[in-house]
Order: sequence, then structure tokens, then C-alpha cells
Amino acid sequence: MTGSSTVAITGFGIAVTIGAYALSLLARRRYPSPLTTPVLFSTVIIIAILLAAGISFSDYKPAKGIMTFLLGPATVALAIPLYKNRQAFFLNLIPAGIGLLAGSLGTMITAGLIARLFRFGPELVSSIAIKSTTVPIAVEIAKIVHGNPTLTAVFVVTTGMIGASFGPWLMDRLGITHPVSRGLALGTIAHGQGTAQAASEGELSGAVAGVAMGLGAVCTSLAAPWVIPHLVQ
Amino acid sequence: MDVRATAVALARAGPSAPSGNLAAFAPRGRSAPVSAWLKGIAVISLQLTGLWAFNVAGVWVVNKAGLPIPGNLVGIVALYAALELGVVKLSWFEAAGSFLIRHLAFFFVPITVGLMDTGSLFATHGVGIIVTLAVSAGIGVMLAGLVSQLLLRNPGHTGGRS
Repeated sequence: MTGSSTVAITGFGIAVTIGAYALSLLARRRYPSPLTTPVLFSTVIIIAILLAAGISFSDYKPAKGIMTFLLGPATVALAIPLYKNRQAFFLNLIPAGIGLLAGSLGTMITAGLIARLFRFGPELVSSIAIKSTTVPIAVEIAKIVHGNPTLTAVFVVTTGMIGASFGPWLMDRLGITHPVSRGLALGTIAHGQGTAQAASEGELSGAVAGVAMGLGAVCTSLAAPWVIPHLVQ
Repeated sequence: MDVRATAVALARAGPSAPSGNLAAFAPRGRSAPVSAWLKGIAVISLQLTGLWAFNVAGVWVVNKAGLPIPGNLVGIVALYAALELGVVKLSWFEAAGSFLIRHLAFFFVPITVGLMDTGSLFATHGVGIIVTLAVSAGIGVMLAGLVSQLLLRNPGHTGGRS
């Protein structure tokens, strides 16, 4: 590929991504549904356009690099709502902590058990059980529990998409309305993408989700080496 | 809107605009002075640089210490601690921070586009994988949400809803 076409494809990739995201914001406002949450909606549109244009993911990677440059600073910014809501947060620390344990252990165990029902092998079961952890931590845990880091990353991203789009829908049906609980569940189960979704619901939810993402990851990394051998055997 | 009034309001609001909204820095009206735009852009850039510096510091610490956690989590803790200790002010980061958080989902979109390369995995194990991920995520959301809400609403534990 020549230099100028790389630039053109990168520019095209960025334009398509921003366009699809903007469209998803409009779609969510007009037709609020799990299917119109920004990550799911935009991703489907972008993949369709890239496939139609004959652009592979490796062609799209430079555009991805440019657009995700601010992900780190954006995540760091979660300290701001956390700081502004610190009283509400610390007041609810114990219930949130118990909910976090229940959620992160519950999702790990059920994922492992269901994966076994489908007769997946040990590597796949280990990789899928830790899918609610944010990618950089999940990849490390995967090595410890004899999973496959690449598969794990795929499961983590897919879980984030499922959790962020259908999590709020499910919680509406279950009567989970407390902003702390909603943020906690989204951050614990759907990590960064869930946190982004929670932040769009409200400041307190977003802050709790950001912390839950971190603590849920710590909880999973401590529990996984003990729990997963029982799930695999 | 009066250009001078806009500029004065911007200058007064400066980086400490209480709304924490980017719009607070964007001059309204067609005849907005270039200087007001430049000031807005400069403020946002400075704030982004500050957030970026916390992120870089977090990544550096994680690499140095060999910790298996993402650097930006350390960045969150560091920024929170700095705010709590009064080393930095909320207003230094608020405009850029709230903008980034409002559009946090955007930054995950290019990452999930990577799923386009996983067609063969989903072609062979797709149903099992999707069912496993969806059901376990649903159960996790239910457990975390219901357990915490039950405890939050029980005054014996926490002093009730906040």
C-alpha cells in the first residue's frame, strides 16, 4: 500500500467512525433501545461500510490508533465525577462492595459453567470466564489461568458491547433504578464500555462504574486462579 | 449576543466555568471574536494535556512496578488523590474532562470494530459464545444491581438511599 492511500484510508476510517458515532447519538435520542447504544450501533455500521469498501481491519488500524489516543486521558477524567460525588460514593461503599463481589464472581462462574454445557475445551472455558475484566487486565489473567489472551480480548470486547447495550434494558425490567447500583452493575460486568454507558446515564453512575471496573478487575484477578481450575476440570 | 459581553464572560469564567461544559467556552453568536475561540481552544488543550500527563504518569508507574493493571486506573487514583489533597483544582480539568466522559463510548468504537476480524471464530462457535457471554453478563448485571440495591435501600446498612 502506498503512503498516500494509507492517508486516504485513515482519513476515510476516521470520517466513517465519527459519522457513525454521531448517527448513533441521533438514533439513540429518537429510538432509545439496546440496539441504538453508540458502541453496538456504530460498530455495526462501520464494519458494514469497511467491508463494502473492501477495507480490512489492518488498513483501519492507523485510524484506530489516532482515535483511541484520548482513551487514556478520558478514563483518567473519571476521577472528576468520582471526586464530585465522593460523599454519595463513600456512603454506599459497603453495599456497592458486596454487589461488586456478587456480580464479578457470579458472572465468572456462570460463564464457565455455560461454556462447559457447550462442551468448550479448557482453554476456551478459561478464556471466556474472565471476560468481564477490562482488556489489559484480562490478558494478564488469561496467561495465569491457561487461557488464550487473544480469545480473551475478543470475549472482553463482545461482553462490553452486550453488557453496555442490553444491561440498562435488563435493569429497567428488573427495577434496578438506584444510580449507584446501575453504575456498579455496568462497570463490573461491561468494564469500559459499561462505564461509558453509565456515564451517559448520569455523573454518579459513571463515577461508580469507573471504580467498579477497576475493583471488579482486581477481584477477578484474585479469584480466577482459585475458581477457574474447578470450572475447567 | 454582544461580542464584548461574551468575551468578558469568557474571560471571567475562564477555566473555572462551573458548568464544566465545553459549550461554556464556545462563543455564541455569529460575530464571535477569534480571540474568544482561541482562548477556548487553548483552555481545552491545556486541560487535555493535564489529563494526558496523569495518564502517562499512571502508565509509567505500572510499567516500572510491573503491575498487571492498566495505567489509566492508576491515573484515576492519582488524579483523585491530587484533587483530594488540593494539589490540583477541579476547575483545571472540568471542561475537557466532562466532554471526554460524555463521549467516552466513542473511544471504544474503533476497538470493537476489531471484531470484524473474528468472523471465523464466531462462525464455528458463535452460538455457544454469544449465549455464554449474554447469559453470564445478564446474571452478573442482575446480581451486582439487585444485591447492591437491596443493601442500599436497607437503612440498617447504610443510612438509606443517597
